[in-house]
Amino acid sequence: MSRGVALELDSMRLAHYGNQIPCLICNEGNTPDAESCRNCFAPMILAHQARSKHTKPVMFAALGPSGVGKTVYLGMLLDMLSRQPKHLQLSARGGFSVTLQHSTLAALSRCEFPTKTPNEPDRWNWVHCQLRSPRHRQPVEMVLPDMAGEALFEEVDHPRSYRVIHAMLTRCDGVMILIDGTKLQSGSLDEDYFTMKLLSHLTEMGDDPKSSWAMRPVALIFSKADQCDSCFEDPPAYAQRHAPGLYRICQQRFHRHRFFAAGVAGACAVKKEPGAEKQKVPLRVEPRGIIEPFEWLVDNLRS
Amino acid sequence: MRSSNSTSHGNVLSKLPEWFGGIMGGSGASGRGKNATAAPESAVATALEPEAVTVPDEPVFNGGVQSVVDDMLSQSRYALLLRPQLVKNLAPEQLSRTRAALSDNMCLVPEGQVMLRSGQGNDKDAAETAMLHLEAYYLDRYPVTNAQFQHFVSAGGYEQMAIWDPEIWPALLDFVDLTGHPGPRYWRGGRFPRGEEKLPVVGVSWYEAVAYARWVGKRLPSDAEWVKAGSWPVSIEGHPLLQRRYPWGDAMDRTRANLWGSGPGKPVSVYEFQGGVSVGGVHQLIGNVWEWTADALAFEPDAAEGASGQAKLKSMRGGAFDTYLDCQATCHFRSADTALARKHNIGFRCAINLRDLDCGGGDESSAEEEEQVATPIAEDRT
Repeated sequence: MSRGVALELDSMRLAHYGNQIPCLICNEGNTPDAESCRNCFAPMILAHQARSKHTKPVMFAALGPSGVGKTVYLGMLLDMLSRQPKHLQLSARGGFSVTLQHSTLAALSRCEFPTKTPNEPDRWNWVHCQLRSPRHRQPVEMVLPDMAGEALFEEVDHPRSYRVIHAMLTRCDGVMILIDGTKLQSGSLDEDYFTMKLLSHLTEMGDDPKSSWAMRPVALIFSKADQCDSCFEDPPAYAQRHAPGLYRICQQRFHRHRFFAAGVAGACAVKKEPGAEKQKVPLRVEPRGIIEPFEWLVDNLRS
Repeated sequence: MRSSNSTSHGNVLSKLPEWFGGIMGGSGASGRGKNATAAPESAVATALEPEAVTVPDEPVFNGGVQSVVDDMLSQSRYALLLRPQLVKNLAPEQLSRTRAALSDNMCLVPEGQVMLRSGQGNDKDAAETAMLHLEAYYLDRYPVTNAQFQHFVSAGGYEQMAIWDPEIWPALLDFVDLTGHPGPRYWRGGRFPRGEEKLPVVGVSWYEAVAYARWVGKRLPSDAEWVKAGSWPVSIEGHPLLQRRYPWGDAMDRTRANLWGSGPGKPVSVYEFQGGVSVGGVHQLIGNVWEWTADALAFEPDAAEGASGQAKLKSMRGGAFDTYLDCQATCHFRSADTALARKHNIGFRCAINLRDLDCGGGDESSAEEEEQVATPIAEDRT
C-alpha cells in the first residue's frame, strides 16, 4: 500500500516538473523549485513574481567597466526613489530587492565603498520592484540587475560567454552606461574605448530594426562627477571634449541617447591604517544627478 | 546693500596713525605699503599682536573718523575694534555699539572639556575619542553670508596679500567668479546673485575663508570648538561627559535642519530653520552648508581630483542641504575637502578667543553674556 502511494506522489512530482517555468531573463524552462536558472543563473523568483502579476516587467541595466561605480549608483538610485515622496517612486517586491540598496547604503554610512560585485551571475543582486510615475496610470513592474563590470566586458569580447548578460541585453528596454568622468578628465582614453566597445556590441545585437538598440533609450552617465565639477555644467560638451569617439558613435548610431553627470560621494580620500592596504573612502554622501538619467529612461520607454 | 571700497577706506584711514593701518590688514594707506613688502604671515601676526603696537593715550575714533567705526561695524569687523590695543580709542557710544554687535553676532562658549572622535567621527569611530580642554571663545551665531563677504570683496580683500597665506599667492588669480572677477566661484561681476544676500557664501576655498576671517579680525574655529558649540557638553562629576549628537538633542529632527529631503534642495537664508539652534544660540550648525574648520584630516587626497586634489585635506563639519545620511549630519561627523575646493555647498563661520578681545575685563558685561548663554539652556529644558 505504502509503495503504491509513493509511486503516485512521484508521478505527481514528475508531472509537476513537466510544467516548466520559463526564466524571465533567458526564457529557458526551469523546474518550479529551481532557485536560479539552469541556463543563465538569473534568480527564478523573478519569473515567479512576474507570473503572479501577469505582466511583462520593464528591464533596465547599468553597464560600464569594473570600478566605474555601477553598484553605488544603482544602490543610491533605488534608495532615493524609495524615500522620495513625489515624482518617481519605487516599491521593492520581495526582500531580495532591498539587498542592493541596503548593502550600498550600509557601506556608505560607514564611509566605505561597497565591495566589488563578484563575477558569478548567481551572486549578483537583482531588484524587482514596482515603479509609480506620473506618466503611467498603473504601477510598472521593473527588473534591474547589478552586473559585474568584468563579466560584462568578457561578454563583449567573447559573446555568449555570459548567457545572462546576452539575454539581458537582448531583452532590456533601456540602459544606463556609466563612464568614469575623472578618468576622462585625466586624459585616459580607456574609458572612451571601453564605452565605444560596449556601444558597438549593442548595435550589432538583434536583427529586427524595430527593436534594435538604435531605437532604445541609452543614458550615458559620467560617474564620479563630484570630483570633476565641470561634468555637471554641460555633459554633452564634456563628452565632446574628453571622449570624441564615444560622442560620435552616439550621434551616428543611437537615436535616443542623452549624456548626464552623476556623483554620490561629495569628495573622496585615501585612508591608510596601520597594517592595512590603502583604501579609497567617500568623505560624505551627497547624491547629485542620480535620478535624472533614470527619469529620462522611464520617460522614453516604448509604449 | 551698502558697499564700500578700498579707495574710500584709504582716504579715511590716511587720517589715522600708522599703527592702525597695520591692524586693518593692509587697508590703510600706510599699512598697505608696509604689508606689500613685508612677509605677509608675519605682518598679520604682528598686526594682531597686542604688544606690537603703541597705543595712543587719547581716543582717536571721533569726529572725522567716526565713519571708519561705522564702516567697520557695517562690515562685521567689530572684533578688530574690540582688540585690547584699539578698544581704548573708542568713544563710549562706539564701544557700546561695538559690544552690542559682538553679542548680537557671536555666541560665547564657556571654557570646558569636549570629546572629539577620531577619524571621520562616525559611529564606527566612536570607540576612539580624545578629551580636550578649551578656553572660552566666541563663535559666529550664523554662517558668513553673501552680504558680509561682499564687503570683503568690495574692499579689495583679494588684493590684500597680507591676509593670505604666502603658499597660496600663486593660486590667488584662480579665485575668481563666473565672470573672472575676484570673488566666490558662483558670483558674477564681483557681486553675489540678486536676492541672495542672506544666503551663506559658498564657492569659497579654505584659503578664502581664512583670509576673510583675518580681515574681520577673527579666525576659523578648530574642530573641537565647532563640536563644543554644537554638542554643548555637560560635565557632571563621576559621569562621562554628556554630549549631544545634534545641537537640539540626541535624535534627528529633519524639520530643524536643511538637509536632503527636508529643504528645497539648495541653500536657504541663514536665518531659516531657527529650530536647529544650539543651546548657546548658534544657528544652522547642522545642514544648509558644510563649514570649513581650521584643522586638517589626516587622510591622503584622492589623486583622481587632479592638481587641486593634491592640496591638503581640510576638515569641515555640519552637513549641507544635500547631505543624504542622518549619521553624517551630526555634531560628531567630520568630512573634508581639499583646501582649494570651491564647492556649491561649503561655507564657513568664524571664531575668536575671548582673551583676544577686550569685553570689559570680566565685569558686568561678561556676567550679562553668561546670563544670555544660560537662558536658552533653561528654555530648552522646559
